[in-house]
Amino acid sequence: MSSVAFDQATFTLTTPGQSIRLCPAVSSAPYDQVQTLYRTLLVFATVAVLILAVGLVEFVYFEPPGQTTGVKARIVGVYAYDPATGTTLGTDRSAFGRSEEFAAVVDWSGLPPNLNVGARWYDGFGTIVGRVGPSTPADLGNFSVVPVITPPGLHHNLPGQYTFVVERLQGGLPVEVLGRRIVLVER
Amino acid sequence: MSTSTYTTPPAANPHPRLRPGRYGIAIAVAAVVVITLIISSLLNYVYLDTIPARTSLYGLLAVALIALGTYIGVRAFTRDRASRRKHLIRAGVLLGLGTLLWLLVIDVFVFTQAAGPLIAAICAVACLPTTAFGLFVVRRMDRNEKEPWRLVLVAAAWGAIVATSLVIWGETIWDRIAQSTLVPGPGLDASTAFSAGLLEELAKGLAVVLLFLVMRNDFDDVVDGIVYGAAVGLGFNFLESIAYMTNMYAIFSPEGYGGAAAGLQWYGRQVLGLFFGHATYTAFIGAGLGIARQLPHKRQKAFAIVSGFLIAIAGHFSWDAWVQFFPIDNTLFGLVEMHLRTLIMTGPFTAAVIALLIFGIRYEAMGLTDQFRKEATTGSGAILPEEVPILSSPWRRLKQRLRAFQRGGLRAYLEVARLQTAQLDLAMERWHRERQEIDMPLEAEDALRQRVIQLRHWVPAA
Repeated sequence: MSSVAFDQATFTLTTPGQSIRLCPAVSSAPYDQVQTLYRTLLVFATVAVLILAVGLVEFVYFEPPGQTTGVKARIVGVYAYDPATGTTLGTDRSAFGRSEEFAAVVDWSGLPPNLNVGARWYDGFGTIVGRVGPSTPADLGNFSVVPVITPPGLHHNLPGQYTFVVERLQGGLPVEVLGRRIVLVER
Repeated sequence: MSTSTYTTPPAANPHPRLRPGRYGIAIAVAAVVVITLIISSLLNYVYLDTIPARTSLYGLLAVALIALGTYIGVRAFTRDRASRRKHLIRAGVLLGLGTLLWLLVIDVFVFTQAAGPLIAAICAVACLPTTAFGLFVVRRMDRNEKEPWRLVLVAAAWGAIVATSLVIWGETIWDRIAQSTLVPGPGLDASTAFSAGLLEELAKGLAVVLLFLVMRNDFDDVVDGIVYGAAVGLGFNFLESIAYMTNMYAIFSPEGYGGAAAGLQWYGRQVLGLFFGHATYTAFIGAGLGIARQLPHKRQKAFAIVSGFLIAIAGHFSWDAWVQFFPIDNTLFGLVEMHLRTLIMTGPFTAAVIALLIFGIRYEAMGLTDQFRKEATTGSGAILPEEVPILSSPWRRLKQRLRAFQRGGLRAYLEVARLQTAQLDLAMERWHRERQEIDMPLEAEDALRQRVIQLRHWVPAA
């Protein structure tokens, strides 16, 4: 009796191929290969869940929750810019031509002095095309004009949506956007 | 031949129904898709101001097709049962064509307006042969029972036209919210990647789900699922390639290298990424559905389908989110890096789907061979014992067709091909019935058998 029970347990635990070789009775109800496909798919799905989990962790790492201080940076505007003099021209605008230089003007004075802040321009591809900081608002007081720098090798700015952000940094990473402006560089 | 040796298995479903329950699900899915598309079209009309004038003009044909299709469809219900089906099919085809045409018009203007119609046309012409090659290869992957071209092309058309239309507003709204709330950088990139993975794979996957629900006779197993999924992916990749090529051309042409930028996009998406990108991701959705097709329990079916979607979403997400960690140098070595990046990031997913495909083909071949033998032993005459080894091997089937070609030219070749296809269909039907995964009545199998016998009258046994 115990021997029979042992044999049955052995068949249950063996691989499908071994089962068929060892026990003629099993061959009449062969192992369904679809189950192998199904289990393989489940293994791949487990890896997929891990990938998505890593993505979620990455998102939380770069967008840590509970970082809202309520502080708002005042972006005075985005203006045409004269690189020769380092000054802005004209009125606040939301669209520029490709050949126009432009810069954002930030009022750093309204920010708490102990914050570590910086400002960046991103082009339509997410590339940083202009920056100041990071530093304290007091140190950045003289850098209120943040121009877009045309990337090396290009004659003009690439068309698309440009995003200007004033960010609060912690541990070297930007954790909160204190101010944001989006402008369009037309084709 | 005594009847005792006739081993035709019993009908899997003793209550044949004209409209199985899955049709209801398919209608519900189709209704959701249509409503989403209508909302999307309205939003396009209201917010995308470059479209209305020309779409109103070109859309007239689509409106006419839809009107005619609706008319025929409504009239079909007043006809007798025999001709009703024919008229309903006509109406369905017209409605489908009208919808596709309308979406195509919208797509063309939404995705290609950046560089103008001429550049868009050149980009489309450049992408056509590569996509056609991709579809040819994908269809050939099913070595035992190739899917009908009409379904493969419908799948690709869905990927190119319907899926892209479905995701426009979802991705736009997601991106707008993310750009106005998140810190630019990897976090925002991850958010965008989640949006692309989730929305695009769901939109593409709907096509495979509908094929799975409606065209069950042509959706046999994991191999078919991979073929349909990859076809949808290739269609999506076709229109996405055109969109990226025209956009890159428009951005870089004032700098003097718009053509090179578009060409690089073409190479990356239509050569290097032809099978590695969208085709691979959506093939996983098809694989999940194909495996679910043959699983016995509902819980397992659900897990398989969800798994397919999860893998597709994860594969797509991983590329979009982490491609930034593999930057490409602006040097000649950048070309090597570009290939290595695709191989490292998408290669494992493609290898995994190929593994499922190879295993699926082998499993399908085993099942069919078993059914060839069983049918041969019935003595029905549909499959002769000496034909079993020939039918079991794609190469020997090809050799048999070539021999027929030598004897009787193209006509003989095609007749043998038709006979082989009918025999494979019969074996597939038997396989599904034996596994109790078919809801067609037993008469359908008998009809297939009769068709083989009828074809055999024209083709002498090899």
